[in-house]
Amino acid sequence: MAAQIGTVLGIGLVFLGFGALLLRRSLIWKLLGLNVASGGAIVFLVALSHRPGAVPPLSGYPEGTPSADPLPQALVLTAIVIHFATLALSLAYAISLTERFHTQETGRIEAASEEEMER
Amino acid sequence: MKRALTIALLATLLGILLFGLTDLFPPAEVRPWAEMARAYGAGNGVASIVLGSRLYDTLLEVLVFALAMVGVRYTLKPLGKWREPVVPERGVVREMADVLLPVIIVFAVYLAASGHLGPGGGFPAGAIAGSGLLLLAMAKGIERLSRELHEGTLEPLEYGTIAVLLVLGCLSIPLNHRGSGLLVVFNLLIGIEVTIGAWVVLHYFASHRGEI
Amino acid sequence: MTAALLGVLGYFGFGIICFLIPRARFLSALALVCGTISFAVWAPGFPRGHLGLGDWAIPWEGDALAAAFWGLSLFLHAVLLLEEVGKPRHFYALLTLLFGTVLSLVLSRDLFNLYVSLELTSLIAFLLVGLEGRAAQVWASLKYLILTSCGMILYLLGVGFIYARAGSLSLPALSAMPPDTAIRLGVGLLLAGAAAKGGVFLYAQWLPTAHGYAPSSVSAVLSGLVVKMGIVAMARIAGAYGAGDVLVALGLITGFLGIYHAFWEKRIKVFLAYSTMSQLGYMLLGFGGGDWGGALTYAVAHGLFKPLLFLAAGRAEDEAGTHLIQRLAGKLMLSTRLGLGLGTVAIAGLPPLAGYAAKGLLFLNLPPWGKWALFALSVGTAASFSKLLPTIVRGRKGWKPTWGQFTLGLVVVGGGVALCIGKASLLAPSSLISGLGAIAAGYVVFHLLRKLPFRPPHWRLDESLLALFLAGCALLFWVLLH
Repeated sequence: MAAQIGTVLGIGLVFLGFGALLLRRSLIWKLLGLNVASGGAIVFLVALSHRPGAVPPLSGYPEGTPSADPLPQALVLTAIVIHFATLALSLAYAISLTERFHTQETGRIEAASEEEMER
Repeated sequence: MKRALTIALLATLLGILLFGLTDLFPPAEVRPWAEMARAYGAGNGVASIVLGSRLYDTLLEVLVFALAMVGVRYTLKPLGKWREPVVPERGVVREMADVLLPVIIVFAVYLAASGHLGPGGGFPAGAIAGSGLLLLAMAKGIERLSRELHEGTLEPLEYGTIAVLLVLGCLSIPLNHRGSGLLVVFNLLIGIEVTIGAWVVLHYFASHRGEI
Repeated sequence: MTAALLGVLGYFGFGIICFLIPRARFLSALALVCGTISFAVWAPGFPRGHLGLGDWAIPWEGDALAAAFWGLSLFLHAVLLLEEVGKPRHFYALLTLLFGTVLSLVLSRDLFNLYVSLELTSLIAFLLVGLEGRAAQVWASLKYLILTSCGMILYLLGVGFIYARAGSLSLPALSAMPPDTAIRLGVGLLLAGAAAKGGVFLYAQWLPTAHGYAPSSVSAVLSGLVVKMGIVAMARIAGAYGAGDVLVALGLITGFLGIYHAFWEKRIKVFLAYSTMSQLGYMLLGFGGGDWGGALTYAVAHGLFKPLLFLAAGRAEDEAGTHLIQRLAGKLMLSTRLGLGLGTVAIAGLPPLAGYAAKGLLFLNLPPWGKWALFALSVGTAASFSKLLPTIVRGRKGWKPTWGQFTLGLVVVGGGVALCIGKASLLAPSSLISGLGAIAAGYVVFHLLRKLPFRPPHWRLDESLLALFLAGCALLFWVLLH
């Protein structure tokens, strides 16, 4: 049952994040939404590695004990670092744009940067 | 109107995925991994995948991490420094930093060195050491710390670590060289790399904020 | 396999060292030498292998697709090294790492390895687009980052679905699975995610600004090579699962909508970016229709003339001080006009240039309706490029060619002629007439439609996100009901 709840929770988080990304106007909110969504994808993958009554994928448990699937956990380790990296870069870009246009509203940043290109 | 449409669209997508979930269980059998882990000299299934059979993914991931740091550096450097110094914390943080810092560093090194046997590994170790640096920065003031850990030495260390990691990793795959020693070296190198990355993010986000 | 791995390692190693050492261009050239030697060693045998132990490892396999993209990226690397002198060293470092990632991506047969490589190419692309730090570039890069991250989250969910059902991440294992609901949904999510990365219209509305505002040598490599990595991922996934008709549908959408936007676009590099989106349609038609050879030839040919166009357009912007196509006429030097002109006639399909030969090869193996679609796309391409004609014909006398553009132009002509000689049916009167007819029809269509008051929509971030989710939803429905 835990695996089902985990996967539903993960997908729910993904769409919560996408909702914030689509509906909020502030750039920081959008980036936070994106981060929540990627967190949801990670929760989904971790939940998939769960098996009923399983032990962690470490050696030292008695022979024949069912263990959780190590592969999704390894994938998650990689995915977390990639999400961290993209979040850091996007926040740096957000700081740089906010500094220039003195606003965090996406529409205004977009219009102002297009205007800058016309010049 | 647009809002309602957006919510309807997301709800539809969510519905499709939840419908797909009903077909997902029970998932496929776990493939026996103990033998593979033993071949790589690891007691931890996850570590044997991350540093063993999928080492190549990990190397690419380290590159992703390093390049994000490069991006943060080149994006925030032109913004100029924050004018007022970030005031060092007094009292509790300062006192506790002296007590906690050695423990944090020892714990990070332990996690990196034993990550192939139990829970742990280079990434958590680097994150913990990075948060230790954050504590130190709060206690001493970020300016003082960044004078001591300056770019001129950190940058060569960072790129050098990645280069060593890449060469070791890529050569160990075709040479079929395996063993616990190699995993410890990988974990320590990744730990160093992540610590430096965490410091770069912390340092640049705290000191090059520009003005709003 | 070892040779290919060592070539990729050479690229990554020299790329990292470029950050530290002042003579970065020289180091980047060393990486190119490394890659070329490795290509010469692995390519003849098309090796297959694993990076690691047994069935947990990452499968790698050399095939015609990998060889074609290795050749293209090594050549483009050489061209950019010739073209760009005296840039800051992190530019060369990022470029070297980008080419290294591309070399590694095309060999991979593993869903998660594809994910990590795609993320690495996009991360380097974000950095290169925002490198000069102008606000419009930073915004274009951020938009690129947000949209592709959404796509990659969908891709990751797809990886989860496939793995939970198949118990393996390798593409050969996927092809052996019975298509039940979870697998179908997983494949739909993977395709939607890769399409967001691969510049398919509606999925990737970041492309016009990212490729249009980036420095022109960066646009050249992004348009010529990097954006096709998403297409490669889609072709691999659809090939393993057998979802060719989805690719054909996406190809038609991106082909025609791209032309519709390109036709009315006024800024030269944004225009070229929209044209890239429509050109990706040709490749998707080829991959979806099962004609991988034709699609690959087209991908390589497009990877030659689109960089030529972008490099020439960058020079044109510098010479004229504007990016509006109307105002460029009369201000360009002869060498720039020659590069722009050669690219234009090549993309429009004038015999016997590379564009004509590749289109002809693609044409041969398509079903009848596909032939009509391809002909309509060619007419549209010729029509949208007709607006560059005044710019090419009228101008100043000056002569300052660059080595990069010269090499690209030489290969566009030489490769096309070689293909035409090798494949006799390309020089048959019927195909020559259809090639020339498409150009003539395009020119007429341009003059008929030019004055019409259509203005395609402007894709801001919110609309682009909505388009991505809407099109992703439609794709999932299609794959599920398939």
